[in-house]
Amino acid sequence: MIFTIFKSWMNKFQSQRLLIVLLLCVILWLVNLSLGSVQIPLKSLLGRIAGIPFPQPSWEIILMEYRLPKSLTVLLAGIGLSLSGLQMQTFFRNPLAGPYVLGISSGAGLGVALLTMAGTAFGWQILDNPGNSWSLVGAASAGAMGVLVLMGLAAWKVKDSMTLLIVGLMFGSATSSVITLLAYFSAAEELKLFTIWSMGNLGNTGWSDLGYLAGAVVLGLIPALVAIKSYNAMLLGETYAVSMGINFQKLRWTMILSTGILTGSITAFCGPIAFIGIAVPHLARLLFRTQSHSVLFPATAGVGVLILLACDTISQLPGMATSLPINAVTTAFGAPLIIWMIMKRSFSEEF
Amino acid sequence: MDNPENRQDEKEGFVRAKNLELGYRSGVETQGVASGVSFSLFRKELTCLMGPNGVGKSTLLKAIMHQHPPLKGEVWLGNAPASHLSEKERAKRVAVVLTEKIPTGLLTVRDLVALGRIPHTGWWGQLSPVDQAKINEVMALTSISHLAHKTVSALSDGQRQTALIARALAQDSPIMVLDEPTAHLDLSNRFEIMYLLRDLARKASKAILVVTHDLEVALETADKLWLMDARQPLLTGSPEDLMISGGIQRLLPGEKWRVDAASGKIIRNTTPLPCQIEGPEPMVSWVKNALRKNPELNLPEAIFLTETPFAIKATFSQHQQTFDSISEMIRFLQNQLKPENFFLK
Repeated sequence: MIFTIFKSWMNKFQSQRLLIVLLLCVILWLVNLSLGSVQIPLKSLLGRIAGIPFPQPSWEIILMEYRLPKSLTVLLAGIGLSLSGLQMQTFFRNPLAGPYVLGISSGAGLGVALLTMAGTAFGWQILDNPGNSWSLVGAASAGAMGVLVLMGLAAWKVKDSMTLLIVGLMFGSATSSVITLLAYFSAAEELKLFTIWSMGNLGNTGWSDLGYLAGAVVLGLIPALVAIKSYNAMLLGETYAVSMGINFQKLRWTMILSTGILTGSITAFCGPIAFIGIAVPHLARLLFRTQSHSVLFPATAGVGVLILLACDTISQLPGMATSLPINAVTTAFGAPLIIWMIMKRSFSEEF
Repeated sequence: MDNPENRQDEKEGFVRAKNLELGYRSGVETQGVASGVSFSLFRKELTCLMGPNGVGKSTLLKAIMHQHPPLKGEVWLGNAPASHLSEKERAKRVAVVLTEKIPTGLLTVRDLVALGRIPHTGWWGQLSPVDQAKINEVMALTSISHLAHKTVSALSDGQRQTALIARALAQDSPIMVLDEPTAHLDLSNRFEIMYLLRDLARKASKAILVVTHDLEVALETADKLWLMDARQPLLTGSPEDLMISGGIQRLLPGEKWRVDAASGKIIRNTTPLPCQIEGPEPMVSWVKNALRKNPELNLPEAIFLTETPFAIKATFSQHQQTFDSISEMIRFLQNQLKPENFFLK
């Protein structure tokens, strides 16, 4: 029974590929846990899973307090950002759309910028300790939600999806200009704090934060899963979708809500993570050779986790004491990837 | 098949409307496009909607699809007005083929046709064996089964249009609405597509409405014509009746053009040629055709045509001339004209 459902869901080629992607995810997850400034041998790691304690107690702390929550954050961010990107690309019928086109990252950035830099710019202090991770999360969430509410109001007024896209981009530009002004008048110390936030950080989420993030990601995924069929209908454009019985206004709100919750929460906890949201859906289409969202949803989520795990593993710089900012890695690998994809075959043809 | 509702459809039409007012609503302002539009669309019939650009053909289609509801009046789809149906119920009654270019990408023909099942599947879009059978059936009906695994971007224009028609068929709705399905197609494909639609109307008992500008194909294939025209009510009837009554002339407002009652071709209103032409029939009319296109020429007094071998003997006031082809004669006549050079005057 389950098998027949699976068979009609995706073909053999696609299920094989999905299996490979999931297998690679597990392998890369183990490698990710093992590598870093302190290397934990894979053998001990597998032993630890089987219940044998580590020979060195410090490994236990490194693994449980730092690497494991970080790898779970990678899992959530990889799924959330790439599925947001997929929804945006299908909804706006634009291959360059990504999770941040509605200005959510700029909104979160503005929240954080106000928190970290407004002190000198306006001469007042919002919090005694702006570097506190919870206050950063609060500010970023407030900013993202503010933009989300504004986009909601715009969506109420504007019925055309292209106009909505432009409004979103303009919101982004407007908030960026405020951030630039704040940065111009702020002290060097605060500017650095903001700049580091904007580079993205997957390692800031402890176990307690992780619960909230997981809850938000699950909440954001539910509307997206319910709308899978509507996204398939959108492949032929809005008019065809409506003619096939899709409630377009409902889909629009679903898209805004789902991507808003997903990217808003991830940006709040991890900062704006570049490239994953735009590149991964294309990669999933290329690898699975399909446009059907019932296949693309699991495929995109799997590939998203895989790519972000790989980027995070590289950013840990095995054997060195420091780690690179995650955005430097995602962009350094994402940009060549996109260029390679464009060179290999026409981007728009595959889309 | 014999319930009272079906019998009512046969009398009144499956899609019907009385005194519709069509137009757009933007805020409080309304912009009327056409008013007093009444019609009945019957099952098992292919109906062509024709008329000049901008008279509101697309608006009428959108009113039937309920994407731009009429400003006044109701369109009835079977036993219920369109506005009383939910999106899904409407989708089960009306399927469309639009002019807009579809983004193709990696979509295979079968995937495209399968999209037509969307109103019938559950939230996940899972295709049941019934859906699969329907997809196979419509692909066989439109003879595109052999293209199933090709991507839509690899199809020719005619094949793509057929695939889009198959998608609309898969939607399993009694009404099909097509907006210029034969635009961009070559001559034979235009006929193929329209004959396919005519066949489908019969075999699958569909009410099919097609917007087209192609009079020749419409006369050949349509059961009914709806002629739409600014400031006049919709004129409906079989193409043959409209030809005989002269109602067809509405397609060509103004004095310049008319539809030839014998051939159904669109011709320019002209005065008879001041030249006597004799010879076997198809040749005479083509020579006339060539001469009409070049009204500035000084015509010979008489032209005599012979069949085998083809030759044209032209009698002028002073001499006679023989030509092997019409273009040779036209070239000769053009050279007879005095060069009119405005700079030398």
